[in-house]
Amino acid sequence: MRYQLSIFMENRPGKLEAITKILAQNNINIRGISLASAGEFGVVKIIANESDRAYEVLKKAHFAVSKREIVIALINDTPGSLHDLLKNLSSNNINVEDCYGIVLEEGEKAAIVLEVEKFPEAERVLKANNITVMSDTEI
Amino acid sequence: MYWEKDIETMDRRELDSYQLNKLNETLQLAGRSPYYRSLSRREELNFKEIKSIEEIKELPFTTKKNLQDGFPYDFLAVDLKDVVRLHSSSGTTGNPTVVYHTKEDIETWENLIARCMYMTGVREDDIFQNMMGYGLFTGGIGFHYGAEKLGVLTIPIGPGNSARQIWFLRKFKTSVIHILPSYALRLYSFFNEMEINPRKDLNLKIAFIGAESHSEEIRRKIEDLYGIKAYNSYGLSEMCGPGVAFECPCQKGMHVWEDHFYMEIINPDTGKVLPEGEEGELVLTTFKRRAMPLIRYRTGDLTRIIPGTCDCGRTHRRIDRIKGRTDDMLIINGVNIFPIQIEMILMRIPEIGHNYLIEIRKENYMDRLYIKVELNEEVFIGTLFELEKLQVRITDDLKSELGVTPVVKLVEPSSLPVSEGKAKRVYDLRNN
Repeated sequence: MRYQLSIFMENRPGKLEAITKILAQNNINIRGISLASAGEFGVVKIIANESDRAYEVLKKAHFAVSKREIVIALINDTPGSLHDLLKNLSSNNINVEDCYGIVLEEGEKAAIVLEVEKFPEAERVLKANNITVMSDTEI
Repeated sequence: MYWEKDIETMDRRELDSYQLNKLNETLQLAGRSPYYRSLSRREELNFKEIKSIEEIKELPFTTKKNLQDGFPYDFLAVDLKDVVRLHSSSGTTGNPTVVYHTKEDIETWENLIARCMYMTGVREDDIFQNMMGYGLFTGGIGFHYGAEKLGVLTIPIGPGNSARQIWFLRKFKTSVIHILPSYALRLYSFFNEMEINPRKDLNLKIAFIGAESHSEEIRRKIEDLYGIKAYNSYGLSEMCGPGVAFECPCQKGMHVWEDHFYMEIINPDTGKVLPEGEEGELVLTTFKRRAMPLIRYRTGDLTRIIPGTCDCGRTHRRIDRIKGRTDDMLIINGVNIFPIQIEMILMRIPEIGHNYLIEIRKENYMDRLYIKVELNEEVFIGTLFELEKLQVRITDDLKSELGVTPVVKLVEPSSLPVSEGKAKRVYDLRNN
């Protein structure tokens, strides 16, 4: 299972830093990060190269952290690519709960991180439409 | 200026012997309630006639806890058929404090409020706008019936909705209001916004302020802003409600109506009666309550008896402003709250941890309750949506328990200070 870590965080200076510090000290690499806030608090989502270990070290430091299953789709870094991806999902009635993207190679490749309601289905739909889904090792 | 001149200015010696008679009556009456009867069976209370009022010191105290343990009817001294009303605290923590009234009790209370209002100069041709809460709370209803008894046109508007309050104040040329001191200050900011000058554009002359402790400075400020006289009012539902003690035009302390209540000031730790002038816990014994007479009831309020006589001519002694509480009860915009109520609600919610913090601040003259709760790291789902839902849920649960809307802040696990021994969870920052 591919997953990212979702961590509760107060929206104050130094709070995000406390998380990155722990990961750095444990020599864990962050491959993707996104942040959503609701005023005084927020949720930071992190894709780590060693998810299980990242989860353990944060848990040990008493962060409220949970594992969220994700699908990472590789698309072309061209106009309309994300649109095509989303169209495939919506036409199959798959709702996207969270989504952010990272350009991997300018003009070539981008990775789209998705949290969806129905996982096996989402992967099946994407594969059927010739969209590459990243595996564990690739992360 | 006196509603009942004979009583209000009764010769002190006469008043003392009146009190002795009334105390013996109360003892006989109280003996009909299951609670006091059981005390007498256990020989903790003796109903034999008391010869000197001083002997009251030998009688046991009654506490709020006794009332709660005696829920629902252990303190009732009359048949249920003779009871016409009850008032109650909101508390769902343990049992609420319920107080019963016979028809006679209600009439006695009405008369007491009429006496208080008349003392400050309220007359039949006044217009009275009652901005205190109605319902189980005694503040609104107590004054309502008292004002009607006096013969004043009474507007039972209740609290809140400032635009409407101001509309009524202007259209009906309201001359007397009953209002929380904090709300009086807040309401003033609305006048400013509407470019109305309460000193010139209103017909106000008197405000009764009570239900929450406030300083002399706050009173003077209210008087100054509105161009009125503001009188301090003291009461508690266990005695009837408002009307227990009230300021006269001299504004030098509140006269306790000693034909209705016997007052003592005790050391809250030792229970020893303190001499006049010393600060301690106010203890009251009822003289006229029929449905629920109470003996040496510990109010939890800290004050002192003001020595000497008052220039107004009343012989009933005065108490000072309430300085605080002997227990951990918080009074937030007039609403009584115990921290344990907050804790009970929080601990029912699995998504939050065990550590929490209560802060009370003054904002725009109103009390504001802040509650910081740590998220439970074991139950975190991981979406912002769930967190927002949780925040709303905690707020709603607390609001329905307390009757006050708190500001709930979610904080990280283990981020609140952990103190050694007994945790300090309540920070009252209102005087900072």
